[in-house]
Amino acid sequence: MKKYFANIWGTITTLKTGMGITWRHMMNIKKDNVTLQYPEERWPRPERDIGFEHEKYNVIRSRLHVDIDDCIGCLKCERACPVDCIKIDTIKAPTRGEDIPDIRHTGVTENGTNKALVVSRFTIDMSECCYCNLCVYPCPEECIYMVGGPNSPKHPIDYEFSEFNRKDLIYEFSKPLTSEQKSELMNPKPDAKA
Amino acid sequence: MGVVQGDQMVLNIGPQHPSTHGVLRLQVRTDGEIVSEIKPYIGYLHRCFEKHSENVTYEQVIPFTDRCDYVASMNNNFGYVVTMEELMEIKVPDRVEYIRVIMAELNRIASHLLALGTYGLDVGAFTPFLYMFRDRERILDIFELTCGARLLYNYMWVGGVSHDLPKDFERICIGFLDYFEPKIKEYNDLLTHNKIFLERTADVGVLPPDVAINFGVSGPNLRGSGVNWDVRKDEPYSIYDRFEFEIPLGEGEFGTVGDSFDRYWVRVCEMKESIKIIRQAIKDLPDGDVFQTIPKKIRPPKGSIYRRTESPRGDLGYYIISDGSPIPYRVKMRSPAFTALSSLGEIAEGWMLSDVIAILGSLDIVLGEIDR
Amino acid sequence: MTVDTLMNWFAKLGDFPELAFILAVLICAVPVFLFIAVYALVAIYGELKISSFMQDKVGPMGQGVGLHAGKWGLLQPVADALKLILKEDIIPTSADKKLFILAPFIVFIGAFIAFAALPFNQNIIIADMNIGIFYILAVSSLGVIGLIMAGWSSNNKWSLYGAMRSAAQIVSYEIPAALSIIAVIMLTGTLSMQGIIQHQSGFVWGILPNWIIFQNPFTFLAFFIFFISGVAECNRTPFDIPEAESELVAGAFTEYSGMRYAFFFLSEYANMFIVSGIAVTAFLGGWQSPISGILNSPAWGLWWFMSKAMFLIFAMIWFRWTFPRLRVDQLMNVCWKGFTPIAMVNIFGVGIWHLMLG
Repeated sequence: MKKYFANIWGTITTLKTGMGITWRHMMNIKKDNVTLQYPEERWPRPERDIGFEHEKYNVIRSRLHVDIDDCIGCLKCERACPVDCIKIDTIKAPTRGEDIPDIRHTGVTENGTNKALVVSRFTIDMSECCYCNLCVYPCPEECIYMVGGPNSPKHPIDYEFSEFNRKDLIYEFSKPLTSEQKSELMNPKPDAKA
Repeated sequence: MGVVQGDQMVLNIGPQHPSTHGVLRLQVRTDGEIVSEIKPYIGYLHRCFEKHSENVTYEQVIPFTDRCDYVASMNNNFGYVVTMEELMEIKVPDRVEYIRVIMAELNRIASHLLALGTYGLDVGAFTPFLYMFRDRERILDIFELTCGARLLYNYMWVGGVSHDLPKDFERICIGFLDYFEPKIKEYNDLLTHNKIFLERTADVGVLPPDVAINFGVSGPNLRGSGVNWDVRKDEPYSIYDRFEFEIPLGEGEFGTVGDSFDRYWVRVCEMKESIKIIRQAIKDLPDGDVFQTIPKKIRPPKGSIYRRTESPRGDLGYYIISDGSPIPYRVKMRSPAFTALSSLGEIAEGWMLSDVIAILGSLDIVLGEIDR
Repeated sequence: MTVDTLMNWFAKLGDFPELAFILAVLICAVPVFLFIAVYALVAIYGELKISSFMQDKVGPMGQGVGLHAGKWGLLQPVADALKLILKEDIIPTSADKKLFILAPFIVFIGAFIAFAALPFNQNIIIADMNIGIFYILAVSSLGVIGLIMAGWSSNNKWSLYGAMRSAAQIVSYEIPAALSIIAVIMLTGTLSMQGIIQHQSGFVWGILPNWIIFQNPFTFLAFFIFFISGVAECNRTPFDIPEAESELVAGAFTEYSGMRYAFFFLSEYANMFIVSGIAVTAFLGGWQSPISGILNSPAWGLWWFMSKAMFLIFAMIWFRWTFPRLRVDQLMNVCWKGFTPIAMVNIFGVGIWHLMLG
């Protein structure tokens, strides 16, 4: 009998505490609100202060970008990708380290390395990319990165890159080559050097 | 005159359902409301993780391990990395160990918040779910600050971690812990001590300790039945033996030992213990270079190894066979939620249909881990 | 009363009593239906916003007509209503067609005709019968038949579960509700709604208004028993096991879409209003103002009734978003072993208190 009434009393008190908590949250909505009206308001991207040592390491996982002028065609990023979404084709350049203006190929990268290969196709399929960041680290010229973060002077952050068509998500980074230019590169005419 | 015979109804708690935690199909035989047999059907989320890992290199396996138990992916990475380092006999610097422990415990809190929130949703309380997710968002913001990703991190590498901690990590992390500790009391007031919730969970779905050990259940489910087994204390890996924390056990304060309330309560207490561990780790965090012991090329010696770690769901085990090449021969993951789901048939028979949903929620399964 | 005034007005035009009756009833039914529709929109908006505030978010917000959902999300219920009207009407092939189509109407009728006896005002009450409360308690159980029809004809095991649970629940919780109303009737001596309200004018204990809830500590208890049984009758949390979202997707209404679903929805909100209306009339003084004597013109009377009813509906919304739900057998336990004995003891208590200290 006593247990019956103790049960009822326990019910009433615990229910009252619960209702008090929701009442308090309701009254404090102006202070506690966590909703943002997207797209007018957005969460700011966290600014990382990592000190001066590793500032070249990028941390935001957003869209991949390649500075194609710096790419030496070593294929390290293609091998590092676990889902095989990077596809690169290279052609041997006729002379190492020299510019070829017809196809806008620069012979020397920013860091001073001479390029031996012309990159004819560099596609990244962003719909297959799993955003694991494994392709960023092996690059010796640091030309492939995810935009934003410490690289934002070069390329501001972009995480809203959705498209209507799936084919638009295949990004082509290399400079376009016609098939004559390609065949000319692959079979160079012998130099009139005799 | 014969006796009126009722017939049993076969019901599908189908793959698409608001409260199976993932795509799971339960075939249930009921007599009115009382359930007499449950058969789980799994495999709707199988993505061939183990076959994939036979074709990619050791460091490329790590993003795949993330995606198995997507709720607590730091712990998955941790298990794989600890196993590999034992195989290759690499000793990582202290700073790396401390960072790994901090990340793993933060992810344990996040995973338990999700488990408790969805459990409240299963029994009908809509509000605690949103409060817990709001706090989980703060943890994900800390992770985004450190490694750039919110849910699938690829953070722990063989021989180190992928990014060092930012300079103001300590201030942000301690700020979060100070904000979060009073919230646990608020959740207890709102949900845990609520009489209706106690009626729904106390004495429901009792898992006796011997049945649990026979099925191989581990983690909070086992500790809720009173068995004192935690891999962090009984087979310590990494630097867990340097921290002081307790193992909460289910005591049956509102019902029998091993009921759903005990499993729920063990998870709430484990969050408090994780907060203690993180505070100790941040206080003792040494300096150093986190990248110095990352091997340039991972070529483990021939052999095989099995190592288990404690994920928020239980004993997560990795069995790796290597034949000397950069590509593993076999990677097997032993998932704790698989054994928990297999014990569902035993403990949920004889209860009503709403109880089956409540018991399933208290076992805290994630289908990504069961199906891999 | 409104029907009577209309019939008197028609009698001036000519002598056709049956036609006059039918016309008067039809003319009175249209405003009731419009009131239910408008009130449902307001209640849906209120539920959205209040539940969002309790969960630390703001719900639908907008910047103006056309963008998002109107300023402060005011156009959201309009958008909901439009969506429900314009949806495709799907009837499963293996469903029992006649019962499937008939079910929403019966549930709605059960809620609709109870509005005939609610006293909004001194003058606005559709039919002031001398058995007002008895009539409302009787017709509000009509909805059960509609629910069972809905569950059975959907040919879906989940709907059947929901319908059976719901039928058991509504029928059981009628009993504590009726028993607590009996306590009120003992004090007032009349079953008519306006009569009960007239009985509650004046002051008691000095400054408190003479509402039945304050006259007697046992009627205080009876109010809570009636209110909670009313929440159970409307299938609201913590008693919403028939439409438990996380188990049975929508319980008895899973197979309904578009306007038919809108009817079930409307009748749930109409039921909430009826339960609040009876609670306000019987326990909280109806359209009387709290300070008897001032602010009691007919316009103010309407305002008091609506605000008291809205406050009770706010309490129902508050319950829904705070508590988990009870299991079916625990529901039945609470009703038969908890509420019914207490309600019976309550009747004795009311009578004895009134005898000794009345």
